[in-house]
Amino acid sequence: MARREEAQADRIAGRLTRRQLIELEACTRCGECQVWCPVFLQDKRECISARGKLSLLQRLVNDGLPDTELQDFLQGLYECSACGQCHVVCPVRINTHELWEQTRESLVSAGIPRPETQTKQLLTIKRANNAFDKPQQDRGLWAKKAWEAGLLKAPVPLWREQPSSVLYFAGCTASFDPEMQSVAVQTARLLQEAGVEFSILGDEEPCCAGKLRRMGDLEFKAEAEKRISLFAEKGIKEIVVSCAGCFKGLHSDYAALWPGAKKVRHLTQFIDRLIQDGKLRLKHAVPLTVTYHDPCHLGRHNQIYDPPRRILQAIPGLKLVEMPRHRAFSSCCGMGGGLKLVNPGIQHSMAGVRIREAESVGATAVVTPCQTCYMGLQYGVEETASSMQVYHLNEMLIRSVCPEVSCGEISARFQHLQTT
Amino acid sequence: MQLMVDYPKPWLLFGVATVISLGYMGYAFILKWRAWNRGAEETRRAEGGRGRATWIWLAEVLLQRQLFVLSPGRWLMHILIFYGFAGLLFLSLLASVLRPLALLGLDRGLSSFFFQGEGHLFIKLWGDAFGLALLAGLVAALFRRLFFRSVQLDNSQADVILLVSLLWLALTGFALEALRVALVPVWQARYSFFAQLFVSPGAYTYNQLQPWLTALWSLHAFSVLGLMLYLPHSKLMHSLLAPVVIAMNALGEQDREDIYWPDVKKHRPTGSPGA
Repeated sequence: MARREEAQADRIAGRLTRRQLIELEACTRCGECQVWCPVFLQDKRECISARGKLSLLQRLVNDGLPDTELQDFLQGLYECSACGQCHVVCPVRINTHELWEQTRESLVSAGIPRPETQTKQLLTIKRANNAFDKPQQDRGLWAKKAWEAGLLKAPVPLWREQPSSVLYFAGCTASFDPEMQSVAVQTARLLQEAGVEFSILGDEEPCCAGKLRRMGDLEFKAEAEKRISLFAEKGIKEIVVSCAGCFKGLHSDYAALWPGAKKVRHLTQFIDRLIQDGKLRLKHAVPLTVTYHDPCHLGRHNQIYDPPRRILQAIPGLKLVEMPRHRAFSSCCGMGGGLKLVNPGIQHSMAGVRIREAESVGATAVVTPCQTCYMGLQYGVEETASSMQVYHLNEMLIRSVCPEVSCGEISARFQHLQTT
Repeated sequence: MQLMVDYPKPWLLFGVATVISLGYMGYAFILKWRAWNRGAEETRRAEGGRGRATWIWLAEVLLQRQLFVLSPGRWLMHILIFYGFAGLLFLSLLASVLRPLALLGLDRGLSSFFFQGEGHLFIKLWGDAFGLALLAGLVAALFRRLFFRSVQLDNSQADVILLVSLLWLALTGFALEALRVALVPVWQARYSFFAQLFVSPGAYTYNQLQPWLTALWSLHAFSVLGLMLYLPHSKLMHSLLAPVVIAMNALGEQDREDIYWPDVKKHRPTGSPGA
């Protein structure tokens, strides 16, 4: 190996852990990862499967790779939703999704660039503090608008004005994406219905920076530490997040840096507890047969399988049916790991597969507590021209607790506010 | 009574070759160790839960639980190869350790028990059992790869070389055992319950078979050394590293709240879509 390639291989290896380097050689090459991989189902090249990537990465860190194989490896690495299915089925239990994220970081540190679309999004996140390139002062506007539109029982207090025991961390998508602001509004309303005292950071709320980790940005740690300092400075003890991606970021990615990560809860965990404690009452029937889509960031990555199911089962009139692939074997919709940015076509097909699976069990709707999966599954509906409905879990809850804050109502009232 | 069939073996040559093979293996592993050591320390260290992690390790490594739930057929095949190979390795190591100890007078009579005494029959019985398990597993693996090939099998060169090498070792081992059985009385041959099916016990004299025994022993023994040389470059590395990785992950997972934590029972895999 030439000296330059050797130095590059050492730089890549140096950013992986010893365990990860051993894992590269521990692969039995059984191919179990391949038969479960939702991306491989769409692109049947060996370099797409975990087995192929492990083999190429092993050669890359030891001997270097010829250019054509390096390109194959990069394609496999970035055309991966890092869903973690391969980790769950691996007989050796190689912690693949963590390895892919770490490898992305390693490659960038060794001067091998990531796809341009991902780089662009990362730059936007770091510059604007959100992936939507929206001004930071608009971040808390959803709460103001919701109050003005009569969708909330009381105004949502800002932490700087009224700190409370719980911080609701809405995240970039629910704060800025007009299609998804209903998630933030409904979360706030549900918490109010249950009598939870909470505040939001408003324009002080940062992006969780989880996407930086997903795409292997070298500044992830520094950015995470900034957020951790902010939480410490504000005296925040407990955080509730409605976004599965933010939960993965704040709860899992920060765990190595911040003991407080253990106090970050996903909304489904929080609501489940409120229902069990009798604080949130599900009054109205929701006569639907639904199936539940486990988001990778909640399920496989954080073992949150039961709380959302318990919530759905507690809704009167709602019937929950499981898809063949559920819980730890839930098929990814393709929205994670930056895959959508690199190859939207594959994401659409993956989501299409999931929609077909939902149809196969007789469900009329797919419910998910992740807004990213929600959007991803919508692409699947388009792809398959299906009549399947896709709902965020909040919508099911709201229809049972206070139907006047349904998505349709929020959208109509926001529109009305805008015109007046 | 001398129960072991003794015949000339090229010990000196074998000893030199063994030293070279072990030296090469050691060198290859040092290089690997250095390569792995380029990696960073784990940022999160698991604390506590070692008892449960140990149970997980035992279930995953010794019982290969994950593979069983994914595919009982593949589990059976793999467990036959795993325990067949491990058992034969243990018996070979027993002999390799006892011989030098006997020369130094430190074996406390164990070598005469295992080589000349009744212990020899024990070794033959278990040797046949482990050999049969290995052979059955390898034949099943070859059939799976050649005739019932499931979608995920890529049959790379490394897979074929390894399977053929192991099969070669198993077959030469049985051939050697068959020659030995051809020299011993029926009651002794019965301990080699599988090998005796292919020959008539006591049908030949020592003089008739001695050159064949020496040649076949050499072929088998030097083939084992060949496999040792190949091991660091083969996919057989997984047999050494998979238990290490499973141990590291079983400890780390509790902190990551990963697969088996907090509740192992809820995260059992379902049947594999492959075969």
